[in-house]
Amino acid sequence: MRNSIRRQGPLSLWRIIPLLLAAVLLAACGRPEPPQLSQGTLLPSAKPVTDFQLTDHHGQPFSLENLKDNWTFTFFGYTHCPDVCPTSMTMLGQVQRKLEQQEGLDKLPQVVFVSVDPERDTTELLSQFVPYFHPDFIGASGDEQNTLKLTRQLGILYGKAEGSAADNYLVDHSAAIILLDPDGAFRAIFGVPHDPELIANDFLAIKNYYEATQ
Amino acid sequence: MKRTLLALIVSAWSLLATADSELQVENAWVREAPPSAHMMAAYMTLKNPGSSDTVLTQVDSPAFDHVMLHKSEVVDGVARMTHQDDIRIPAQGSVELKPGSFHLMMPTPEKRLVEGDRVDFILTFSNGETIRLQADVRKKP
Ligand SMILES: [Cu+2]
Repeated sequence: MRNSIRRQGPLSLWRIIPLLLAAVLLAACGRPEPPQLSQGTLLPSAKPVTDFQLTDHHGQPFSLENLKDNWTFTFFGYTHCPDVCPTSMTMLGQVQRKLEQQEGLDKLPQVVFVSVDPERDTTELLSQFVPYFHPDFIGASGDEQNTLKLTRQLGILYGKAEGSAADNYLVDHSAAIILLDPDGAFRAIFGVPHDPELIANDFLAIKNYYEATQ
Repeated sequence: MKRTLLALIVSAWSLLATADSELQVENAWVREAPPSAHMMAAYMTLKNPGSSDTVLTQVDSPAFDHVMLHKSEVVDGVARMTHQDDIRIPAQGSVELKPGSFHLMMPTPEKRLVEGDRVDFILTFSNGETIRLQADVRKKP
């Protein structure tokens, strides 16, 4: 190897010059610019999430570990909600179907519906509710403490509506969709209204930016 | 033939629906719910070409135990549903019952309603007028 380089000495130097120039330029420009998003808001810096213990709709543990090595869209809602929650879940199904058609996308993001009504949203209920919107979607619920552990880190608010009856109550909850990166860190937030086309495009832009800055 | 007959029945129905009222109901649909859902929602556009406001005070349906008037709203990023005593349709105006806004909310019946099913509703207004209509069950965002 060393020999062959010596032999072509001046020629390979010429070949290297453009590469050197490129390297100098890159160093001068710094890291790639964050993408301009049409629907989402990128956090200035990713916010690492600390561990939490939920149970998925198959009855398996769902914790921080399950957020690693995957992009994750997460939405917080409850199955007794017939308007906002099915609207958002159907919309996320459309995002997923758009990404399924995206060529060159090595791995689809996972979509996790986290219950803000663990009192009524049993694993059994979630197992029928969540996959209705897409067979790969994951439903997760846990006790109050663990649900709060996650929601507080993501700025998600929820609580029983005032004046609700004890057995037939409504739950107020943040309508935002949160995007977590493959390190399990909070990356971006999508407020309402949600448009599947824009969210899918924003996701691809965020993913490209993430990969370019690793 | 069957289809034509059905179309005739449907158009006769909508004629009936507007016969005793100036109010028009368009695009009524019920959102198909996941198998385990406890609640369902219905949507429609209420148009009032008349010269005075009309107030929707009650909705009944043979398909459901009861029907509630509801409104979803997102305030400071938080989605909440509130019960509405009535829904006012302004004179020469309209109100859209749509996802994320006004809707009818019903407990899911024992036999699951799926896309293609049709559901009857009876709308009652403050002046005592009623409108009967049919809504399709649809899979929609
Ligand atoms: Cu409602």
